[in-house]
Amino acid sequence: MHRLWLSLAALLLATPAFAQSAADKTELVIDLAADAATLDPQLQWDTDSYSVYRNIFDNLVTRDQSGKIVPQVATAWHYTNDTTLVFDLRDDIAFQDGSKLTPEDVAFSVQRITDPAFKSPQLSQFDQIASAEVSGPHQVTLHTKTPYPALLAQLVKLSIVPKAVVQKLGDGEFNQHPLGSGPYKLDSWQHGVAVTLTANPNYWRGKPPFARAVFRAVPDVPTRVADLRAGRVDLVRGLGPDDAQALKQEAGLKVLSVPTERVAYLFINAQAGPTKDVRVRQAIAMAIDRDGIISALQQGYGVPVNEVLTPADFGYDKDVKPWPFDANRAKALIRQAGAEGAELAFLTSPVYDRRLNEAVQQMLQDVGLKVSIVMMDQPSYLHRRQGPPDQAGSLSQGRWSCACEDADGVIFPLFRTGSIWSKYSNPEFDKAVDAARQTLDPAARMADYHRAFEILREDVPAIGLFQDVAIYGARKPLQWTPTANEAFFLMDMHWAP
Amino acid sequence: MPRYLLSRLLQAAIATFGVITLVFFVMRLAGDPTLLLVPQGASAEQIAELRHALGFDRPLLTQYIAYLDQLAHFDLGESFVQRAPVSAILGARIPYTLALAAGALAVALGIGLPAGIAMAVWRGRAVERLLAALVLTGQSLPTFWSGILMILLFGVILHWLPTSGADGPASLIMPAVALGALAMSTFARMARIAVLDELQRDYVVAARARGLSLGAALWRHVLRNAAIPVITVTALEIGNLLAGAVIVETVFAWPGIGQLAIQSIAARDFLVVQAIVLFVSVTYITLSLLADIAYSLVDPRIRAVA
Amino acid sequence: MKARLSPGIVLILFLLTLFVVAAVLAPWVSPHDPLRQSLLLRLRPPGTVAAQGDFLLGTDDLGRDLLSRIIYGARASFIVATLSVSVSLLTGTILGLAAGWFRGWSATLIMRLVDTMLSIPAILLAVLTVAVLGPGFTKLILVLGLTRWPRYTRVAYASTLQVAALPYIRAAVMAGAGPARILLRHVLPNIAGPLMVVATSEFGLMILFEAGLSFLGLGIQPPAPSWGSIMSAGRDYVARAWWMTVFPGIGLFLVVLCVNLMGDWLRDRLDPRSVGR
Repeated sequence: MHRLWLSLAALLLATPAFAQSAADKTELVIDLAADAATLDPQLQWDTDSYSVYRNIFDNLVTRDQSGKIVPQVATAWHYTNDTTLVFDLRDDIAFQDGSKLTPEDVAFSVQRITDPAFKSPQLSQFDQIASAEVSGPHQVTLHTKTPYPALLAQLVKLSIVPKAVVQKLGDGEFNQHPLGSGPYKLDSWQHGVAVTLTANPNYWRGKPPFARAVFRAVPDVPTRVADLRAGRVDLVRGLGPDDAQALKQEAGLKVLSVPTERVAYLFINAQAGPTKDVRVRQAIAMAIDRDGIISALQQGYGVPVNEVLTPADFGYDKDVKPWPFDANRAKALIRQAGAEGAELAFLTSPVYDRRLNEAVQQMLQDVGLKVSIVMMDQPSYLHRRQGPPDQAGSLSQGRWSCACEDADGVIFPLFRTGSIWSKYSNPEFDKAVDAARQTLDPAARMADYHRAFEILREDVPAIGLFQDVAIYGARKPLQWTPTANEAFFLMDMHWAP
Repeated sequence: MPRYLLSRLLQAAIATFGVITLVFFVMRLAGDPTLLLVPQGASAEQIAELRHALGFDRPLLTQYIAYLDQLAHFDLGESFVQRAPVSAILGARIPYTLALAAGALAVALGIGLPAGIAMAVWRGRAVERLLAALVLTGQSLPTFWSGILMILLFGVILHWLPTSGADGPASLIMPAVALGALAMSTFARMARIAVLDELQRDYVVAARARGLSLGAALWRHVLRNAAIPVITVTALEIGNLLAGAVIVETVFAWPGIGQLAIQSIAARDFLVVQAIVLFVSVTYITLSLLADIAYSLVDPRIRAVA
Repeated sequence: MKARLSPGIVLILFLLTLFVVAAVLAPWVSPHDPLRQSLLLRLRPPGTVAAQGDFLLGTDDLGRDLLSRIIYGARASFIVATLSVSVSLLTGTILGLAAGWFRGWSATLIMRLVDTMLSIPAILLAVLTVAVLGPGFTKLILVLGLTRWPRYTRVAYASTLQVAALPYIRAAVMAGAGPARILLRHVLPNIAGPLMVVATSEFGLMILFEAGLSFLGLGIQPPAPSWGSIMSAGRDYVARAWWMTVFPGIGLFLVVLCVNLMGDWLRDRLDPRSVGR
């Protein structure tokens, strides 16, 4: 009750603190789409949460600007056999309360996130890890259940938490008062509104670039743009192509963009409805004017792809032949399949760009298919899309990123027989992707994926449209090169001198 | 009188229980948040595991009884999405909605009451027509439209007010006006009728015939008596304001429980939604109970139709 | 109370007729196909003239004619409001009549249900129900219809109680007339007045509600036009393409205004005792 009145008073008396700070060079103010859901790095894993907590914690390994996996808490690693990976750790890292980061903390972090009782939503990304143990004064050993080539990619997402602090505070308190070894510590968390971080003066990598960083929750895109224009914030994320065009004209502001590992694709149901016929699917592939979509809807912010994967992922095959945009051939093929006037249900939710849905609908209508867009909210959509084939509709839009930059995290869950996402089954394809995940040899894996994409090209259970480009707006003096995995590390940013 | 009070209390209790049950089942029937919590590539087994760990695969009745048990211990539960106690989450956001409701009420009373009184006093004149138009406008304006237009005009074009968020008193102005517009009409109409009624009473007419000025008549007799219906309507309007806050908070990104409710429904964060509906409903039920009691104190005939 | 129609009423009736005409005759009145996209004509201002024709009120973010979409949006609002008011009027009246006439435990049950439903904020109840049923035209009508009936029930109940106490009704009962006959022939006509007043104000509210739900993405499904969803899409372009926000809003405002005025006028004639909303 006390808190209620205090916060009420604080709200009403608060001066607009942000207006002046945006001009202050020791501070960085950022607009995100929503408030962080959790600040415990081993719980929620949505963009707005990890954008904040990855600055409070360090990870075992990380990616550099080019996407290569490089050391962070771990200095080096080697495989002793196909299922055992040994990490050598730094010995000069301290948590924000002064205590040293030891191998016990690393092992604890792995055990905590893989513990079913902890109920981490991220568990599925780490459940191939069988165990973790301290194997030396600065060494940790991880065992996987089977050979797991994507292990290092997944460990990029593992933050190290202090065992003593977590055990003392308990999970609930730790989520509200996170403490890590990263460049920034939590200063205050105004739920639903903003998170404020202050620099960790003893950070092992060097002095953090800003004294303070404020992450504000602003759900509305035009409001974020307005905030940037008004000088209230320095950096905004999640802009659309139309906003980018408008910002380009502004003095003092700039657009930062990067092709990401997220692929925009059109899912086609190969197991139910009129799209069961492969000719219909191939016709759909030829009816989509992909370049028109990229230029008109994406304003050029999109890199065309000929498969459901991006060049940022390992396994990308640049030799796959695209289906040509040929409406007449599409019409002929549909007539041949006897599918003229066939009714296709396009399932979607507000999460996906509705203009793309409607543009695709128009293009397919032009070749003789009747497409009806069925809108529902995201949980209902996921439920149907992941359910039995006759419930999943004939078409839908997808934006897929595995945050692992590896084909295994994309086409395996999307197309392998038995996966909840897959409304398609081809034993040859299954053999290829199964083989690719059981060997650590990159050349062998590339060959497997080449085979896999050839099969997908013929069967068309989905059409790759473009590599999604992440668009950020920033004030001109801010120096930052965003990366393909959409990381948000403050250590990579600084003000131009 | 005590019997009436008791029966109304019982009514209120039943309504509250009905609300808890209705919202519980409607929310559960919509599906659980597991699919939203897991990373995209999770397999069916992994999803089932998390679903089981979070307790969503238990029979609905079991979950319902567990929830009632929790409520009986004044425990609102823990959010599956934020992994924090629901009471803390609500406690952090309710002050914003209360501030918004207070602001809207201030706007509604501050403009509505004087407008209604003026319409009664200057009945038949041009002023009344003008005010009546204003009142009607307030009643017919879609809140989300007026909200967007205000943001465009005062925020983007004129730069007078902040475009969104809750950075201080200035950002409360537009949301409060948008939300208060509808209530303003109600108060204006009500005040007008109440004052008109009073002005026609014999004793007022007599007093005025004896030379009492209009202003003095208003002050000494009319307003005092008209105050009672105003107070009772205020109590009911607060409930409506809390409901209207949902759209206003969404348009202005005001971090209150209205915005939280919409976000939590989309995220299937059951316990948060249930707690919010419970809070708003209990507030509304309590306020309408108080209003009813106030009415019955004034008009004994109403007690008969319970 | 004037016997003749004032010029104000004439204007209101004219605007409302315009609305109904647009709604009913949409396919003949609208200049373009509201669904026809033109990716090259996105976000054009009002008065744009192109090869495809005149775009009097401009185009939206997929190059569709805004005027046509507004006309079809009027149709959607009209149909949704009419049908949902009909559903709730029917349901609410029947339940209110039953509660008021038969009283006893059925009345208690019904009125407690009314209390419960009136305690939940309407918009939250609608959003919740849509989350369960999923959006869609028929479901929208059901949601709106089934969340609003308590208002009619309250009025029907109170009015029925009063009418039932009237001497000639009691005489009819004693004369042996069956309840159905009495309810239909004697009670219903007497309570129709207040019910119509509620229905009129609810009509305007249902138009606002449908717009609000479509604005939140839970009402009429794209690409079918609805004033609310056009304005919701327009939010992303509010500074650059103000016409997407302003014109549907004006339409919505005018229609609701006229309906409310109509309601006031009706109330003055049918039920002068009721106050405010």
